[in-house]
Amino acid sequence: MSEAILSGRGVTKRFQGVTAIEDVDFDIPEGAIFGLIGPNGAGKSTLFNLITGYLPLTSGEIRFRGEPLGAMPIFRRNQAGMARAFQIAKPFRALSVRQNVAVGAMFGRPDAHDVEATAAEAMRIAGIEALADRRADALTVGELRKLEIARAVATRPVLLLADEPCAGLNPSETAEMVRCLRSVRETGVTVWLVEHDMKAVTSICDRILVIDAGRKLAEGSPAEIVADPAVIEAYLGAPLDAAEGGAG
Amino acid sequence: MTRPARPLAVFAALVAAVAVALAPEALGPFHIRVLQFFFFSAALATAWNLLGGYAGYWSFGHMAFIGIGAFAAAHYAMAFGGGGAGPASMIAPVAVGALSAGGVALVIAYPLLRLRGIYFAIAMLGVSQIAAELTNNVGVLKGGIGVFLPSPTPAGMPPERFFYYLFAVLLGLCLLIAWAIRRTRFGYALLAIREDEDTAMMLGVATERWKIAAFVLSATLTGTAGAIYGYSLGYFTTYSVFRLDFSLNMIVFCLIGGIGTLWGPTIGAALLLFLTQVLLSRFLDVHLMITGALVVATVLLMPGGILRAVGELPRLRPKREGGT
Repeated sequence: MSEAILSGRGVTKRFQGVTAIEDVDFDIPEGAIFGLIGPNGAGKSTLFNLITGYLPLTSGEIRFRGEPLGAMPIFRRNQAGMARAFQIAKPFRALSVRQNVAVGAMFGRPDAHDVEATAAEAMRIAGIEALADRRADALTVGELRKLEIARAVATRPVLLLADEPCAGLNPSETAEMVRCLRSVRETGVTVWLVEHDMKAVTSICDRILVIDAGRKLAEGSPAEIVADPAVIEAYLGAPLDAAEGGAG
Repeated sequence: MTRPARPLAVFAALVAAVAVALAPEALGPFHIRVLQFFFFSAALATAWNLLGGYAGYWSFGHMAFIGIGAFAAAHYAMAFGGGGAGPASMIAPVAVGALSAGGVALVIAYPLLRLRGIYFAIAMLGVSQIAAELTNNVGVLKGGIGVFLPSPTPAGMPPERFFYYLFAVLLGLCLLIAWAIRRTRFGYALLAIREDEDTAMMLGVATERWKIAAFVLSATLTGTAGAIYGYSLGYFTTYSVFRLDFSLNMIVFCLIGGIGTLWGPTIGAALLLFLTQVLLSRFLDVHLMITGALVVATVLLMPGGILRAVGELPRLRPKREGGT
């Protein structure tokens, strides 16, 4: 692992009186699959919204590839190499899977060319080539999640922020999603993953950041995290074996 | 992602062009006027559809651009027209009308397009009322007493026939632009914005820029139609061009025919105008009521418009797998 592709210092977000994220530091090493976990309402999605520009920071700084993001518009963050798969899959319902992915391939880089090849490659990585001509509103939840990943990958990012890609999936779909995220990483993309499914998180992540009530609680390897007394107390409630399947 | 133009479509377009060119030989002035108004209406609806149908930003106030186009053309012609006549005398005033409408759209685009859904629609309604009242009440704009445009009709040609051809060419131009957009990144950007604007941003779509482009293009085409309409009237006041029913008809034609499709606005305009101007003209007491009932019935029974309803006939049972 080399230096951080994305880093945050003192990242804070307040909504009027409520502090959603408070003084969080993070460094996402290039090439990693990084995990972000925490109980419901801990601020995971808020943190992703701050990074991708859907919400402005109250204070602190986020740097992407060494450059401060500041007030950079959302589409520029994507064109700079940051992609996001949303927690609630948001397909373009009236379009086919291929067209959905093509949008990412077309606009993800200002110099977009060979849209069809890029889209085909993204569909292959996500494992949805067979669905290419299906309309997006005819997909299952599991297929929609993979479409979400394919569309993000088609923008040719260096960092993929995946917000609960396994939520609502059955075990075999979850296993497929884990495979899909691994193949994304194999193409050289750093992955930052929010996930509730502890089995998925611990099996796939190199490092995990735990937040609780907007604050950083712990950071370390999966083995360190599941053994951390503070994490067990706040999040797992019990050692991993007992908590498995109950999280979320 | 683009398909090559099908030879059949090109052939159909040629046949349509020849039919449009020859039709006035067989028709009387009344039917030529009906068709002239149809071309005008279909061109407006197609222009509206670029923003409302493609990008999902419904404007309730597109009459603003008809009026601005007409008034700008008239004031330019009155100030610099030099009294020339003939079709060539229209070029500069119509261009000024089109660019004025586009220019106004460009100025108001940034603040207005930050609004979404019904808020944008209502803001446009407000803009159109303000534009109408300005021409009506600001003395130099002469909307209250009326403005003139000299007749551009070539000697020996009936005016209805001249404007019939002019509006037919305008509709052809609007359709060509609408068709071309669909095949470019511009078209995909608008589709993505309509489907989910927040997601589109995260896929690198510069949503603001594309929305403004669609708005300005739509307004420019509407302004062009407005300027030519002004010429067809010859003399007009504020309320002959700033007509609320124009704003509404653009939306209704798109809804009836198929919003967001290439041919929907034209088909909607054809059906509704044929119905109201030709079939129901014998029942003047009730024709508006019947028209209203038909609009309601179409929207209820075929929410995607006639074009989509016909397109879905072969697959009435949609193949959907699983739940979403």
